[in-house]
Amino acid sequence: MSKYKCAICGFIYDEAKGIPEAGIAPGTRFNELPDNWVCPLCGSPKSEFELMAEDEAPSERKKIEPVSLEPTSNAIAATIPAGEGEDRMREMTFGEMADMCSNLQRGCEKQYLYEEAGLFKDLSDYYRSKAEPAADPTDAKLLALINDNLSKYDDANADTKNDRGAKRVLLWSEKVMKILQSLMERYGAEGEKMIENTNVYVCDICGFIYIGDNPPDICPICKVPSLKLLKVERRQ
Amino acid sequence: MHAIRNLRFCDKECLCLYVCPTGATDTESGQIDFKKCIGCGMCVRTCRSHALTLAPDNFPVQQPKTAEMCDSIMEIAKQKVEAEAVCKALKENADSPVERQLMEAMEISFRRQTEDLYREAGYMLPQSANVRKMLIGMLNSNDMSFPKDKALKLVEMLQRQER
Repeated sequence: MSKYKCAICGFIYDEAKGIPEAGIAPGTRFNELPDNWVCPLCGSPKSEFELMAEDEAPSERKKIEPVSLEPTSNAIAATIPAGEGEDRMREMTFGEMADMCSNLQRGCEKQYLYEEAGLFKDLSDYYRSKAEPAADPTDAKLLALINDNLSKYDDANADTKNDRGAKRVLLWSEKVMKILQSLMERYGAEGEKMIENTNVYVCDICGFIYIGDNPPDICPICKVPSLKLLKVERRQ
Repeated sequence: MHAIRNLRFCDKECLCLYVCPTGATDTESGQIDFKKCIGCGMCVRTCRSHALTLAPDNFPVQQPKTAEMCDSIMEIAKQKVEAEAVCKALKENADSPVERQLMEAMEISFRRQTEDLYREAGYMLPQSANVRKMLIGMLNSNDMSFPKDKALKLVEMLQRQER
């Protein structure tokens, strides 16, 4: 009897225990689970599961290097060349500026700066109204973008060096992209019956999408409680 | 520091009124009177509904980010913005409510991911030097319909507090 671990959320399928409440009897081999079986916690396909080594020890706690709270002003000056904001802005599309401003809107809301948040929202709406609509949009094009995006993470991770925040955002968004990839593949194969009789939730923090009747207690990717998993309504 | 009240949590037990030495917690709007607040933190400690917190007046210098790392993150974000636009178009063109629902979920997902990526590429704190530079850059827009007054107001309101 072996154990298999979901690479996205860490759920462990134990062959010895099965999942009796889902009709999977104890002793059911991982290979015997149907091909369309998905992780009960996050919805990842079987292909995301990895065989666990016997008696896999819990990962050792890494030693954390202390971070200086007050980097010297020289270090800061070196990382922000004069006019950096404007230069970067000139390279950004209207669509990117729209999301940049909605990010800052959320940053203000957290501080209860509602007037500032409203101004950023207005700027975001302006840029969104200027953004070019996507040329001939198709499901296939969306899946191709998702696949191409997933291929960029190794390089990006190499560039982050020891930046904990950057490593964190890359880990979460790569996991979310794998979920979106499997959802688009399933949608292509199963069509609308994949969600016809159930609900769709999006995590307001990391973007994880959950298809199911009720959301999990916490987001399987960023671990935020379920009140931040927002239901997307089906409109006629 | 000054106290700030989250009205969603405030259940009007009003213990803050008993302890505030300046009367800053007693207002008609429900928010703290920032002009009167001296940042002593008494109301924060006495509030049982955890509606009050202390907000800093200034922020530390933000963690430095290398240009190389920011470029990598921005490139990943750029593609997610493209995907977001595809979802938006698919949502608007959808024949069925189910397709519309799925594409709306995906559109939101891409936006949340992109926003999170920007935060880690040096645009986390609205009061940061980076954001200020970006706002000033926006003011150079030649488009007549760009709401310059709003960008200008933000530059004024978000005084550079990162030091």
